[in-house]
Order: sequence, then C-alpha cells, then structure tokens
Amino acid sequence: MKILQVYRSEPNSDIKTLVGILNRDRDADEFYLNVENPDYDLLVSKIIAADKTVCWW
Amino acid sequence: MSADPNKFAIFVNSAQNMRHVVGIANAAEKAGKKPMVFFTYKAIHLTKDPRFKALAEMCGEENIAICADSYTCEGYDSVADIPAGLSVKQMRTQAFHGAQLEECGNYIVL
Amino acid sequence: METLKVYFLIANRMYGDGVRSGLGLAVENHYAFPVIMKGEFPPFSKYMSDNIAWVKDMEGQVYSCGAPAPDNCVDEEGDKLIAEISLEELGEAMRDADYIIPYGLPKQTNEPPPSCSAA
Repeated sequence: MKILQVYRSEPNSDIKTLVGILNRDRDADEFYLNVENPDYDLLVSKIIAADKTVCWW
Repeated sequence: MSADPNKFAIFVNSAQNMRHVVGIANAAEKAGKKPMVFFTYKAIHLTKDPRFKALAEMCGEENIAICADSYTCEGYDSVADIPAGLSVKQMRTQAFHGAQLEECGNYIVL
Repeated sequence: METLKVYFLIANRMYGDGVRSGLGLAVENHYAFPVIMKGEFPPFSKYMSDNIAWVKDMEGQVYSCGAPAPDNCVDEEGDKLIAEISLEELGEAMRDADYIIPYGLPKQTNEPPPSCSAA
C-alpha cells in the first residue's frame, strides 16, 4: 500500500510516532506544505499515486 | 457507489489554508480531476476571501458547498448573506463530507 | 454503500467541532472515531456530551489520547463516555482506517488568556 504523509506545519514527536506506525511495511512518501511556494502540481500527483493520504495539522 | 478516481475531495475545516485550497484545486483541475470542496467550522470564514468566488465557479454548483450550521454559528446570516459564488442549495450539512468520502478517489484535509 | 472507518484527530482546544463532524459521518452509517489529543477537551455542554454519546450509539467511539478520560462527560449511569487510548494503540488502530483527518489546528504553544473563556 502507498501512503502519503503531508505536513501543514513542522511535525512534533506525537506525529512522528504515529507516522512511524502508519508507514511500517508500507511504501511511504511525504510532502511539506509549510514552505513559501509549495509545488501543488507535485502534491496532487503524489495524492493521485497514493492509496491513502494523511494531511497533518 | 464506488469512489471515482477522477474526483478530488478537499475537506477544509481551519481558516488559514486558503492558498493551499486554491493551489490544490487548480492543480487537480489541471491534472484532469474534478475538485469537490467542502468548507466547515472555522473554514467558512474563507467564503469572505476574494479568491472564494472564482473557486466556486471553477468547481460548479454540485461540487462545492459549505456547512450552513457552521456559517450561522460563526455569526453570518445563512439566509440573507449567501457567500459570493454559491446558491442556497450549496448551504449544506456534514452529509456533503460523507458524499466526498464516497464519491472521490482522491482526498485531502486542510 | 461502503462503510468507512474514519478517525478525527483533535489537537487544539478550539476544534472540538471534530466530534460533530464525526457524528455527521456516523449518521451516514460510517464508523467515526474522534480522538482528543493531550487533554485538549472542549467544554462538555449537554450538546457536546449528547454528541459523544450518539457517536458511541452509532458504533463509533470518542477517545482521549495522552490524558485521563474526563469524569464530567458521563452517561446516565455515570459511566465515562470517552475511552482512553495510548499513542501507540492509536497508531496501530489507524492502520486499518479508511481516512485519518487531523482536524483544525495544532496545539497552541502558549496558554490561552482568561478572555478566551468568555466565548
């Protein structure tokens, strides 16, 4: 299963723990929205490619 | 109904992500996916953003809505002050979020 | 219609509305699991407590992760309506989720001033 982790802000330790468990034995990718100019085309392509997307606070 | 891989849900519930909402909706459209957007809770304030009307027009009446209860709870008039770009039919309930989950093959929360 | 398992993660005291949003899916015959993180509980009005009970009636559950379940949110028998779950248990449970929805904003780093309670 392909899982995509998207971050709206810098992930804290709780998020990192949860992501570690969710990504275990899975094909995991990530994307950071908390940058000046996010590449939305790239994000959309990653979401389309993923089976599941989690967008953290 | 099984989820349509050509539909792209954006579930918006906080009021600080309008640039992401617009950026992702436009990118989805460019990628050939139909955006379906729901604004609820604090996100209904984004209906006052000048970019909202163009987003509503791009999505079309069936594919963008706001939570009428949230809009009223936040002090707006859901009868006399329908947001620019929307009709009264787009003042909806959380069932619209359910429809997003059921209909869309792609999903992001903001 | 496929029944979905959906987790709502609430990390900020202002976003207890995630419970209502979860209930909105529960009444559409999905399984809703709103999770209140690190004690960021909303005020337990009758409306909020009724919603938490309703989620449970619809075979979902409101959880507290990282803080004891409050004793002022109870059913008619006095039993706690909110169940406790550890971070690790939550992660394992969410591996089976159809959707994970971090709701609203992250936790504030500063303490809210007294004027916040006027709302």
